[in-house]
Amino acid sequence: MNFFETIINYIKETYTDRLVYFPSNIRVSLLIILFCAIAVLELYIYIAFRRLHQASQNRELKNWKEHIDNMLANLIIFDESEETDDIVAHFYPKMKKLPLRNSVVNKVLISEMLTYHRNFTGQIQEVLSILYRKLGLDKKSKRKINNKNWEIKIEGIREANEMRITEMADEIIKYTDDENALLRMEAQAAYIKLSEKDPFHFLDRAQERILDWHQVVLFEIITKNKQLTIPPFSKWLRSPNDTVVMLCLKLVDHFMQFDAADEVERLLKHHNPRIVKKSVEIIGKLELSDAEKNMFEVYFDQPEDIKLEILNSIGKISSGNYNDFLASRIYSPDIKVKREAFYAIKRDPNNGEDKLREIYKQTTLENQAIINHVLDNRIKS
Amino acid sequence: MREFVTTFETLFNNAIFYYALFVMGSYVILTLLSAIEMNGYMKKNSYVNYREILVSPLAPSVSILAPAYNEEATIIENIRSLLSLHYGNYEVIIINDGSKDNTFQRMFDYYQLEKVDFAVDYQIKCNEIRGVYKSKLPSFSKLTVVDKVNGGKSDALNAGINVSAKDLILCIDVDCIVQEDAILKLAKPYLEEKYQVIATGGVVRIANSCVVEDGKLVEVNMPKNLWPRFQVLEYIRAFLMGRMAWSRLNGLLIISGAMGLFDKNTVIKVGGYDHTTVGEDMELVVRMRRYMYEQDRRFKVVYIPDPLCWTEAPTDLQILGRQRNRWTRGTIETLWMHKDLFFNPRYGVLGMLSYPYWFFFEWLAPIIEFLGISVFIMLALMGNINWEFSAILIGMVYFFSIALSTVAVLFEEMSYQQYTKGGDLVKLLLAAFLEPLFYHPLTVYWAIRGNIDKFTGKNNWGAMTRKGFKGNNASATTEQTIT
Repeated sequence: MNFFETIINYIKETYTDRLVYFPSNIRVSLLIILFCAIAVLELYIYIAFRRLHQASQNRELKNWKEHIDNMLANLIIFDESEETDDIVAHFYPKMKKLPLRNSVVNKVLISEMLTYHRNFTGQIQEVLSILYRKLGLDKKSKRKINNKNWEIKIEGIREANEMRITEMADEIIKYTDDENALLRMEAQAAYIKLSEKDPFHFLDRAQERILDWHQVVLFEIITKNKQLTIPPFSKWLRSPNDTVVMLCLKLVDHFMQFDAADEVERLLKHHNPRIVKKSVEIIGKLELSDAEKNMFEVYFDQPEDIKLEILNSIGKISSGNYNDFLASRIYSPDIKVKREAFYAIKRDPNNGEDKLREIYKQTTLENQAIINHVLDNRIKS
Repeated sequence: MREFVTTFETLFNNAIFYYALFVMGSYVILTLLSAIEMNGYMKKNSYVNYREILVSPLAPSVSILAPAYNEEATIIENIRSLLSLHYGNYEVIIINDGSKDNTFQRMFDYYQLEKVDFAVDYQIKCNEIRGVYKSKLPSFSKLTVVDKVNGGKSDALNAGINVSAKDLILCIDVDCIVQEDAILKLAKPYLEEKYQVIATGGVVRIANSCVVEDGKLVEVNMPKNLWPRFQVLEYIRAFLMGRMAWSRLNGLLIISGAMGLFDKNTVIKVGGYDHTTVGEDMELVVRMRRYMYEQDRRFKVVYIPDPLCWTEAPTDLQILGRQRNRWTRGTIETLWMHKDLFFNPRYGVLGMLSYPYWFFFEWLAPIIEFLGISVFIMLALMGNINWEFSAILIGMVYFFSIALSTVAVLFEEMSYQQYTKGGDLVKLLLAAFLEPLFYHPLTVYWAIRGNIDKFTGKNNWGAMTRKGFKGNNASATTEQTIT
């Protein structure tokens, strides 16, 4: 009997005849060894098959992508003087021949059409939209939107959004306040683009939070979409949902909506410090000098970051009404407050920098260092 | 006497068995949690367009803090790589920590620096800052160089925090290769979590044998040398399995010193990095967490599985040993500094789960293992060993270890699949068989050395020599020594 046979026989005996006679800890150890050995073997097989499957799938994807890409590339080189219907009539039969029941083909076709739609404008976009509908892909998108699985819903919403299937806005609105944050965001983003009547209607009914991340996405869509009719966002500044207020403040800020001044000023007394801070920032940016008094009144009750923002805004407004206040702040024990006060003084259009140089002559060494810092334009404030 | 030894052996076998079972059970639970977390992350982020953050004026602002000590050979390339990261609102602060070579002069000349009248607000204690410099060239307007008196990595980072003008601070090792989209990915959790995020960390990967061009990683390869290869496996296990699971539990105690994004205000409130420990990265996270508990504020420390940062792993056993020795001392120091957290319900998951876990499984495990081996040898010498039972017990740990590493490789395969070449995958799987036999005993030895050094008062950082990424792959071009 050779060495390996001895080992195999030992293992066999251990697990069959002798197992029950071992102490319990050794029995458990043997079972763990067996379990781990089988698990490792299965994992190896799984990893190997996964790699093989992946390789074959990638090959198939690559082939179909190349084929569909070539087909769509012909769209671009098509003569622009041709009628849209003629171009559609030319391409439709070719696309119809594709085995759309094959999930890989279906996936590649949709993905490529979306990419082309995103990257081109004008007639090409129009042709793609028509082809998308003629091929019945819009119905598939609709089915996806009503699927149980949230990931598939998102896929459907994205397709409808990119292909501008406006009639799906009514299907999508129901998800704009969904518990699932990702679905909610996708639905809101799509609704803004697809709703022809009231793209901001979802803000009226939003009870769930619009996370900061969602705000970034929505802000991008709203501010970059030139076809969108921008409403006065002040109408949502009384929303009980703080995140709606926050988003609208950012939009008021971006679109410089001076009509919102009174509402923004009112928010200085809001319970949420982030909203207060943003309101202060807007007051400064829009130079709402009427709100300066209110800002000053709330100053001493605020946390440090809002105090700094108030000083910054007073500096931006530069009405000169609060020069004494700013001068008093340069002796604050907090260096940040001092620095912000100096920056505010510097912003005074009536020789702010000269004022700083005057103060420099009669102030402390620490303040002199800060003044040098503030006057050094190479350092960004 | 004979009876006593037999009883001792039985007790010893049982103790080792139950401890091993306990450790293995905890690994299984962590693996399951990690799988859930990874799955959720991958699903969630497959829909994300990071370009939205890149161009958005609403994205949080970030200061990259990179301490540099005697980095003259690579500093220019390293800075250039940091300046080309994909993010809108960020600045790069290089802290020259009193380098003895020409690091500062090289930066000064190449980036045409000039001293600015920066009034440093010393919110955190640090050694004297000799000057703050900005580039005269508008194309490098994001760059700030701080020249200071040498004080070590923690001190340099604290100086950087004092100069930083942004909301978040990204603390990195200057010689790491940072993925271009790293900040985007690390910053995202700050925008999407319900609770305040105080820190985020990403996966650190091993760059040995990878192809690096212009400070960017262009081809991922499995390290040719066996020691870094074991470290690849070790890092995958630690980052994709361990830290993801702790992130799920919101009990993560460490964000790698090589790369971590922190909320600046919280860091300042807790007093910045501690100069007195060699485990400053772990200690900071623990202190930030306990501060948040003491303030009764809900918070999260988030870990993301994306490979964001590539570092050169030591190939030399002596250097590797020094690194592990330092990690052990860092763990002991952090655990000792925060000993009142031990099963303290006031600190929630931190006190009841994370701290005890680190105590029993990170600090104590190698000691128990070492004691176990010592007693085993002693009993063997006395002729009191049941060799068959011992072999079965060792076999259990060995097979479990292979299974765990294989699951880690599966995680890697199902997530980012960095090692696309079939040969690399096979090498990784083979390493799983060899690691418990050759590499693990060494890590236990280094941990024991770390314990001995800690308790005998040897507390230096330990020289950390790297070969550098210059050229095609890690070749012997530069040496970096952090003291």
